Amino acid sequence: MARWGMVIDLEKCTGCQACTTACQMENNRLPGENWQDVLFYNEGEYPSGKLTWLPRPCMHCENPSCVAVCPTKATYKTEDGAVLINWERCIGCKYCMIACPYGVRFYAEEKQKTQPDIRKVYPGDSGKMWNPPYRMPEHKRNLKWGVGVQPKGVVSKCNFCYHRISQAPKGTPDLDPNDPKLRDFTPACVVTCAPTARYFGDLDNPKSKVRQLIAEKRGVRLQDQTGNRPQVYYLAGEAATIPETRSVRRKQS
Amino acid sequence: MSEPRQMNRRDFLKSSAVAGVAVTGGGALVTSMGTGAAEAETRAMPPLETKIVKSVCHQCPARCGIDVYVTDGKVHAIYGTLDHPISNGKLCPKGHLGAYILYDPDRFKGPMMRTNSKKGRDEDPKFKPISWDEALAAIASRLNALREKGEQHRFAIVHGRGWGASDAGLLGDFGKLYGTPNGALGHSSICSDGSKKAKAALDGNYNYNAYDYRNTNYLLNFGAAFLEAYRPYNNNMQVWGHIRTKSPKTKVTVVDVRVTTTGAAADHLLLVKPGTDGALALAIAHVILAEGLWDRKFVGDFVDGVNHFKAGETLEPGTFKEKWTLGLIEWWNTELKNRTPAWAAEITSVTERDIVAVAREFGVTRPAMAIFERGPTTHTNGLYNGMAIHALNALVGSMYAVGGLMNQMGVPYGKLPVKADEFMDDLARAAAERKMPRLDRVKTKEVPLASNNIQGIAQSIVEEKPYQLDTLMFYLTNPIFSTPNAKQWEEALKKVFVIETSPFPSETSVFADIVVPDHTYLERWQDTPTYPFQGWPMTGLRVPAVKPLHDTKAFGDTLIEIGKRIKGPMGEHYKKLGNVENVLRHLAKGFEANPGDNGVNSFDTWVEKGVWYKKPYLYRQIAGEFYEWDGTDYRRPMSNQEVKSKLFPTESGRFELKSSYLGHYGEFISERLGIPPTRVGFPQWLPPKYTGSGDLHFITPKTAMHAEGRSANLPHAVALYQPVSGGRNEMFLEIHPETARQRGIRNGDRVRISNELGAITARAHVYPATRPDTVVLPFGFGHWAHGRWASSRKTGNGCEIIPNVSEPVSGLASYYTVKVKVEKA
Repeated sequence: MARWGMVIDLEKCTGCQACTTACQMENNRLPGENWQDVLFYNEGEYPSGKLTWLPRPCMHCENPSCVAVCPTKATYKTEDGAVLINWERCIGCKYCMIACPYGVRFYAEEKQKTQPDIRKVYPGDSGKMWNPPYRMPEHKRNLKWGVGVQPKGVVSKCNFCYHRISQAPKGTPDLDPNDPKLRDFTPACVVTCAPTARYFGDLDNPKSKVRQLIAEKRGVRLQDQTGNRPQVYYLAGEAATIPETRSVRRKQS
Repeated sequence: MSEPRQMNRRDFLKSSAVAGVAVTGGGALVTSMGTGAAEAETRAMPPLETKIVKSVCHQCPARCGIDVYVTDGKVHAIYGTLDHPISNGKLCPKGHLGAYILYDPDRFKGPMMRTNSKKGRDEDPKFKPISWDEALAAIASRLNALREKGEQHRFAIVHGRGWGASDAGLLGDFGKLYGTPNGALGHSSICSDGSKKAKAALDGNYNYNAYDYRNTNYLLNFGAAFLEAYRPYNNNMQVWGHIRTKSPKTKVTVVDVRVTTTGAAADHLLLVKPGTDGALALAIAHVILAEGLWDRKFVGDFVDGVNHFKAGETLEPGTFKEKWTLGLIEWWNTELKNRTPAWAAEITSVTERDIVAVAREFGVTRPAMAIFERGPTTHTNGLYNGMAIHALNALVGSMYAVGGLMNQMGVPYGKLPVKADEFMDDLARAAAERKMPRLDRVKTKEVPLASNNIQGIAQSIVEEKPYQLDTLMFYLTNPIFSTPNAKQWEEALKKVFVIETSPFPSETSVFADIVVPDHTYLERWQDTPTYPFQGWPMTGLRVPAVKPLHDTKAFGDTLIEIGKRIKGPMGEHYKKLGNVENVLRHLAKGFEANPGDNGVNSFDTWVEKGVWYKKPYLYRQIAGEFYEWDGTDYRRPMSNQEVKSKLFPTESGRFELKSSYLGHYGEFISERLGIPPTRVGFPQWLPPKYTGSGDLHFITPKTAMHAEGRSANLPHAVALYQPVSGGRNEMFLEIHPETARQRGIRNGDRVRISNELGAITARAHVYPATRPDTVVLPFGFGHWAHGRWASSRKTGNGCEIIPNVSEPVSGLASYYTVKVKVEKA
């Protein structure tokens, strides 16, 4: 059984947000509900201001604090390494949102930040929060995996495109989107990443490209002190840094 | 699918309180729910067949090949096409949003006629749906009536992004057959004509360059948003991933007036004062010469082999033997000798230390290239800024070299089934002989050298000069929103009969008398020959992914249908031309004799693959010699005459550092720009003339989400528009803390941005990395009639306060010369 993980090379990442929109398209997310967000940080000032960014999916932790706190066992860890939310069990209590050290969980509030509310344009029916014409084909939707248009009142998050990766041939070390045979099983954000800043593969397979990159380019995990042990690794390279968790902004008089 | 649950959060908290359930803390709780196969069995729905249609994106000029995923007649995903040379399976952030454009709930549903004769921003046009037959008949009868009076010039078509022979490419013949000089009034003068003209002046090619980025080792980028908006954006990012991790790593210096992701990702970001890029480029050239770093194989050398370039000292022309350049010593003597880094530091505000460092890096690294776009060129001195930058490519020998610049080759299309010339009637011929001036006054004494002047059309209409216009048709452009002094169009469009073809509501459509809506790009046939890319020819094909959602028609077909209804031979011509699909079938016949590298040799294979292309590029400069591809390598030496006709079509057949083209217009340039006629040919420092009554430079750049005006009504795009400054759902004015403090502005305050043209408002984002003399408000929001999301943003449209001033030679609108006043609203 594979243990899927992702490597993000910050030296290559251009902060374009194609991962964000590809994810929204693939997973029928609401505007601004960025399962795969890119966070921007500004420090310093003219003429040496520093702008950095950090793409942030769910870390699919080995030891996920969200799973530990979920009172209904809605959020769970699969045998192949993904952290999923079973929307049939989720009661929207948001404990997991507080427990997650990475802020990657979402709850669609009544009042949408992007107005007018697109859910009113495409009202939902039978367990769907909304029903846009460009939604995922019905046969791919899977509530137990938290895949597809979500019901109302549940927490959602990046599922590593589980409807794609779960169909990959067994024993595949890496899901390489440049391989036509593996492309459709690769997470949307990895498929589209133009500078190839993303890699997806089996962390338990010593021959995988992701393992090689983590070793050669000294992959790091965010907030390792929490003990969550993310399965998303970052390569910081020489020309990239992991930004401070918050920007420093001069106080206004 | 079962209903998800019965219990909500409140219920749960109640029951857990009663039962005293403790929330598990710490330690992993791994619950296996099974994977893959087991889960798949539980699915109720049978899988539906998914069809992948090959098409071409439409959200910037890049022409990325896309795979459109269609299931059950609905588009639900768009990815880059894996075997497409531009997209290579990848997309930019806009590309994925194509289905949202297709299903935009605010789209026009079919042709409409205005019933409210009063026009104004706040006047409801009171559109009444009409049939296509009625719409086309109404337009044709208007055009026939003008023709009968011999007043065809009073009909004009203004177009934006032209894609190929099947849309904008049809306009030339339409104008000729109808008999108007205004059949194809383009938008390039609000686009990038500045860079084209700068290149034409020096190397003779009036075009954007193709680039061999993957093999360059130094990229010196002046004001081209390489990682945000510079085409082909998607491929630029693919290149970026490569050049920043290859060995040796490509070094990148970005010169811009604001902090961009491009600048932040580069090795150096030099924040210049707006409009002074040319001074920086000249100082770099000065250092390259003074320190002897130029490419001797391309440029040539001093006869005695010793470097005699010394700051402030003139040289005898005979002392230097030039190879592929012309006028180097004259350029040095008249301009460069005093353009020292210390001089440029004063003008640009970049330190002398940084200028010298970048000049040395650029000068000693090979291959190196200097690229530029609107940052330096949308200024009153834009042509000369561009020339100063492009001249660097000659000094480091990057023209046609590995890791350098090329020019794009054309596509060997088949011929159309009918020749327009054979269908011209007496009216068309008489009109051709009469040589009426163009409505935009291009090729008149006023605008003699530009290709287009879309930003001048509103004035032409308002002042009825050169004549009174009757009917104006728009295709893929909305100048009432996007040109400088945009509001003047509101007066202009009251005076003419307006035909709008946009699939979406637009500011233009508020003034439209008739709307004949286009398909969106996922519904239409269209050819898309590449923008300059890697030199070798390529053309993609848009194939309808779904049947049109509404009662719309592709613009090319609308034009052909109007043509069929024009009396006389013109009508016959269009009946024989048939429709856009027929045009495309004839274009594809050219592939029979020139099969593409991917096997495309017919219309059907073009549809299947979505793109025809044929590598390699045919020309290469190696160590100062030019070679043509001989079938296996670049080995056939080219004569000077061949280089002149194919690569440097200047009068000298060389890269002219003293432009003979500009030399012919000395008097005009002298009059408009105040340069002595003897000096007009040289790349040189010309101070920018700032416009607008204010004290802060006002920059309105494009961000990555800006899809040429078509993403502003996508809520998903709106929520991501200006990530650098936190602009989500709203566009902020970036302002330096000190600048804000002096004006009593706090972060998040609503501010009024004004000059003599008027005022707009926006919210301020106090951003310390901004230049203190510059405020930045990205272009794209500020719509007032473009659909529910676009029109409900709380940011003004910068174009309403940008005075309509253009660089006189290229004709490019000077968007970035404007100054404004900013105060708390």
